[in-house]
Amino acid sequence: MLTALVLMPVVAALVVLAVPRKRHEIHLPLGVVLSLAPLGLAAYLFWQFEPVAGMQFVVDVPWYEPWGIGWRLGMDGISMPMVVLTALLVPIALGASTAITKRTREFVVLTLLLEAGMLGAFVATDLFLFFVFFEAMLIPMYFIIGVWGSDRRIYAAFKFFVYTFFGSALMLASIIAMAVIHSSQTGAASFALSDLANLDLTMGAERLLFAAFAIAFAVKVPIFPLHTWLPDAHTEAPTAGSVLLAGVLLKLGTYGLMRFNLTLFPQASVDAVWIMGALAVIGVIYGAVVAIVQPDLKRLVAYSSVSHLGFIVLGIFALTSASLQGAVIQNVNHGLTTGALFLLVGMIYDRRHTKAIAELGGLQKSGPMLAGFFLFMTFASIGLPGLNGFVGEFLVVIGSFPTLPSLAVLAAIGVILAAVYLLWAYQRVFHGIPEGENATFPDLTPREIALLAPLVALVLLIGLYPNILLDRIAPSTEAVLDQVQAVTDYEVPYPGRLVDVFIPGEG
Amino acid sequence: MPEINWLAIFPELTLALGAAAVLLVEVQWKPRASTLGWLAGWIVLLAAVFTVFQWVWAGDQLAAESTGRLVTFSGMFLVDGMAVYGRLALLGILGLGLAGAHGLYEALGRRAAEAIAITLLAAAGFSIMLSSNNLVLTFLGLEVGSIALYVLAGLTRERKGSDEAALKYFLLGSFASAMFVYGAALLYAGTGQFEILAIRDHLAAVIVARPAVIFIGLGLMLVGLGFKVSAAPFHTWAPDVYQGAPAGIVGYMAAIAKIGGFITLARIFVTGVIEYHATWAPVMAAIAALSMLIGSVVALVQTDVRRMLAYSGIAHAGFAMTGIIGGEIEGVLFYVVAYAVQLIGGFAVITAVSGPEGSASDLSEYRGLWRRNPGLAAGFALLLFGMAGIPLTSGFIAKFGVFSDVWATQPWLVILGVLTSVVTLAFYLRITVIMYMEGEEGDPIPARASTRWVVWIAVGLTILWGVIPGTLLSFVADAFAL
Repeated sequence: MLTALVLMPVVAALVVLAVPRKRHEIHLPLGVVLSLAPLGLAAYLFWQFEPVAGMQFVVDVPWYEPWGIGWRLGMDGISMPMVVLTALLVPIALGASTAITKRTREFVVLTLLLEAGMLGAFVATDLFLFFVFFEAMLIPMYFIIGVWGSDRRIYAAFKFFVYTFFGSALMLASIIAMAVIHSSQTGAASFALSDLANLDLTMGAERLLFAAFAIAFAVKVPIFPLHTWLPDAHTEAPTAGSVLLAGVLLKLGTYGLMRFNLTLFPQASVDAVWIMGALAVIGVIYGAVVAIVQPDLKRLVAYSSVSHLGFIVLGIFALTSASLQGAVIQNVNHGLTTGALFLLVGMIYDRRHTKAIAELGGLQKSGPMLAGFFLFMTFASIGLPGLNGFVGEFLVVIGSFPTLPSLAVLAAIGVILAAVYLLWAYQRVFHGIPEGENATFPDLTPREIALLAPLVALVLLIGLYPNILLDRIAPSTEAVLDQVQAVTDYEVPYPGRLVDVFIPGEG
Repeated sequence: MPEINWLAIFPELTLALGAAAVLLVEVQWKPRASTLGWLAGWIVLLAAVFTVFQWVWAGDQLAAESTGRLVTFSGMFLVDGMAVYGRLALLGILGLGLAGAHGLYEALGRRAAEAIAITLLAAAGFSIMLSSNNLVLTFLGLEVGSIALYVLAGLTRERKGSDEAALKYFLLGSFASAMFVYGAALLYAGTGQFEILAIRDHLAAVIVARPAVIFIGLGLMLVGLGFKVSAAPFHTWAPDVYQGAPAGIVGYMAAIAKIGGFITLARIFVTGVIEYHATWAPVMAAIAALSMLIGSVVALVQTDVRRMLAYSGIAHAGFAMTGIIGGEIEGVLFYVVAYAVQLIGGFAVITAVSGPEGSASDLSEYRGLWRRNPGLAAGFALLLFGMAGIPLTSGFIAKFGVFSDVWATQPWLVILGVLTSVVTLAFYLRITVIMYMEGEEGDPIPARASTRWVVWIAVGLTILWGVIPGTLLSFVADAFAL
């Protein structure tokens, strides 16, 4: 089942590749239709998903046995939401790409290949396989930014690729190291996550490996001070690129920290709680402060990602039930709201050909629908109760309090700053009296509304009934905490565990 | 009566006689270059059939014994898994090389026959080198192969660049060969043996009182072979030769020298003097580290694609050498073949863009290649990603293999290796930037069918070995079960 999920976009890409190069009008619609197939399968998997811990829909086929590498796939409560989010955002991103008029076939093919890489990375339970997907998806993204981006696209694409490749190079060395240690300890080569989690590592080795993995994922998240590629890449990428970059690719970093750092190196993770937490909070505050002064709307949203992702990292390393659940659900939330914000910025850009806040103004009069959607997503992003952002940030902050109280308090400031930069930006772009081109600004088309509507619906759904996700996430995050507690002398302080607050299923 | 098994040298014999046949056919019938090319192709195929047959036959012969190798010609020559694997790789590369040099042969006119004959002889020489059990015969093979390569570098001798490349290659190359033969002599002085297997047995049985002479001998041989595989600091010829020699043949020259050089290196050091592993491994590690650093960093500032690939080849020599340093063979064998295929495919693209004889291949010639020839651009990009070691290409599996081999003994080399991989990525990316993101204008670049075939076979193998590594890896592993 998961094999089909990963291979479906590849098949779709081949189908699109079979369409003649010149038939520009076919490529995008065909891509959207074909990418609905993985979405359907992901929805089915969501439906079938049992709210219990452990991997489900497991696939385990040897790839090259002497090396112990395998086509090992599985899905648990941490990866399931990400898979659904990925499958959802790809058709939306493709549907929003009507501004792309040159080399449309290649664009659709690369986006579909990117989808295969993203889905694969989320469901891989073999370190070798994960690394393959993690790296392989760089190439489509590199071309998407570099070919279809705006003015400084080449610089941005280059920076994106080299930064990420640098991070993952260290991870590759660590993966090799772990495999060598595994085969020296057990006599058999294996890259399976479940095998490598039981390694007997010395403290020094564990810390080094933790650091290498953490750097690789920190580049991806990005955690301050490794974030500098992000504003460039986001700003220069075409709308679809920004949506997928913010919506999914960044999440691979936080997902990786949770899936690999916490499970493979629990002791080092516990030791690094303060470092990672502090860097996360610096990211929260720094991203927010820099976002306030951005003159470019897209860059502003990009820096807001640095800030929001900081919350997620804090949630991961606060190591309590609520904070981990908050981190997972915030992963989804950020993908929905920031994805939508990038879509909206792209729609403004398609009409006005500028992203400079100073050149925009009064758009609320000329484009009330667009303004409405923008305001809605702004509120979701700020974390207004009733919308999804509130659930995630609330869980993270309340979950971090028992373990990292001072950082939790500081992070809460980030929530206020988010209101500052987003609402201020909204005010400058949408309020006032429109002049010049801003006055003749056309409102949203039905196609654009159709793209935004599912995001709005999910924002509301998660905001009003978060248990639809939390019930499925909780067993897996609890299992992570159980494992950390079992291996290390770390005890989640009262009332950090779920059982301290309520009994699962009755709360 | 020396013990002679003619079947053991059938592939080399086929190539050498084939080269003579090509020359005779030329004298008698004066056919077109492509006819001669097809003739050479059939010769290669015949040699490959012999090699496969030899493997099957040797496997049967050796089933009763447990040595895993057939030694013949009074201990001069041996057929084992490594030799068969190396020969098949050489023959494959030879086939691709002949196809890739098609345009060059046509441009050479009546001199095509010489060029084709020398192309065949080069492979025969390296083939002897990597199946030799005797250091003298190794030297013989090395010289046959190298002299053929010097001539190939100077094929278009009317051009100053080609002339210069050939002369430089010849002077430095003969010096390196002299180093090798001196090293072999010193190894003989220290052990009293010329045969690699005998040296191994001798060192295992006897504690050498004064090993210094052996160490110096090994050092000199390392210099000689390091030159052939263009490892730093013996690399200075590579950029000039890669740039000056006719484009049509450079990929072939570089690829077979790397295959021959690395397999011989593995044979001498890992099979022969593994006893002194602790002594030679640090020296080789230093060479590998220097190669990775110089190759990757200097490549960054190159503006000529061929010089860039030359420096990247130096870095690759460093990567491949890490496999030997671990005292393992599997990783390096996979690496060198995967890289040779990428290299010959890459040079096929260069041949199409810069012309088969051309000497310079400035980066600007590649502007907007995606529009001028989409197939070539896509193929080149994939091959470059393969060289960079991006997953799902053979380059990734290759790097993974050699790094895994060396991790247990010299982990710092792995760290250096992955970091320099990032640097190499930067210049591979630069070419893709120029091909895909710059230059909207430009005339279409036609590519002859033979070039397209070489590119697509290279791309196909790069992806096949990257996605299903077992297709080559299990072959490497099987080769050693022989």
